[in-house]
Amino acid sequence: MQSQDKLRIAILSAFAIALHAAERLIPSPIPWLRFGLANIVVLLSIILYGFRVGITITLIRILVGSIFVGTFLGPGFLLSLSGGIISTTAMYLGSILLGNLLSPFGLSLLGSFFHNLAQLTVAYVLFIKRIDAVMYLAPLILFLGIITGSINGIATIALLKKIREDEG
Amino acid sequence: MKTLNILKETTLLDWVLFVFLLIMSISGFFFARILSANQSDLVTVEVKGKMVYRLSLLQDTTVNVKGPLGTTVIEIKDGRVRVKDSPCPEKICVKQGWTKHGAIVCVPNKVVVIIGTDNNRTLDAITG
Repeated sequence: MQSQDKLRIAILSAFAIALHAAERLIPSPIPWLRFGLANIVVLLSIILYGFRVGITITLIRILVGSIFVGTFLGPGFLLSLSGGIISTTAMYLGSILLGNLLSPFGLSLLGSFFHNLAQLTVAYVLFIKRIDAVMYLAPLILFLGIITGSINGIATIALLKKIREDEG
Repeated sequence: MKTLNILKETTLLDWVLFVFLLIMSISGFFFARILSANQSDLVTVEVKGKMVYRLSLLQDTTVNVKGPLGTTVIEIKDGRVRVKDSPCPEKICVKQGWTKHGAIVCVPNKVVVIIGTDNNRTLDAITG
């Protein structure tokens, strides 16, 4: 791995962890609703620096974030890990397969959808084991995911524009 | 103006995806409603996927169930259910409060409270 990449990963992971920690302070009407603001950083990294940087940031964010919050290796950690890996992979595949057809807005929606899908699947297989309970929760979770995914996607577009303006 | 500029960067496929996901989740709400159409006053309490209690919504009661972390207290009153107390760290199930239909799930303590439907698992076959 290039030293330039290492530096990028270090700085961007710090941003992701900071956003992840800060969003816990945002009051939310639904206790388990997370905005996934760290995803802005991950999506940006995938677009600018590729999959390896993106997935490394995701893994560092989940690992360090869970140690900070105290959920390391708990049920929440497994949900977070599965969601993070799947959504990062989905956003990367989306960006290479449909790069010109999807903007970061669409990629973020894709990421949020697969994040929720992975979490619901893991929750079902490991913890809940009740398909009807999952079916009740799924529409609401997916709907909220569309909202948070849209917000993150629009934020990513704005950031990308700013970065590209600054570069020239 | 700035928001307009950002919207200009989105593509047609973005919005196709957006509308598709929206329709999927909204139709999911109706699907869940149909599932709960055979609403009964049955309350099922499960720990680790095993049923431990079958209760009636109409009968006020409080039960304790033991999960991996400790005792979860479930209360039924005035046709509603809530998790009164739970040993889990985030207390999401407790914060959900009084619930009339659907389910209360406590992931850490592996407790599931289902309201309405009977213990049918036939859907497993469809969704795999």
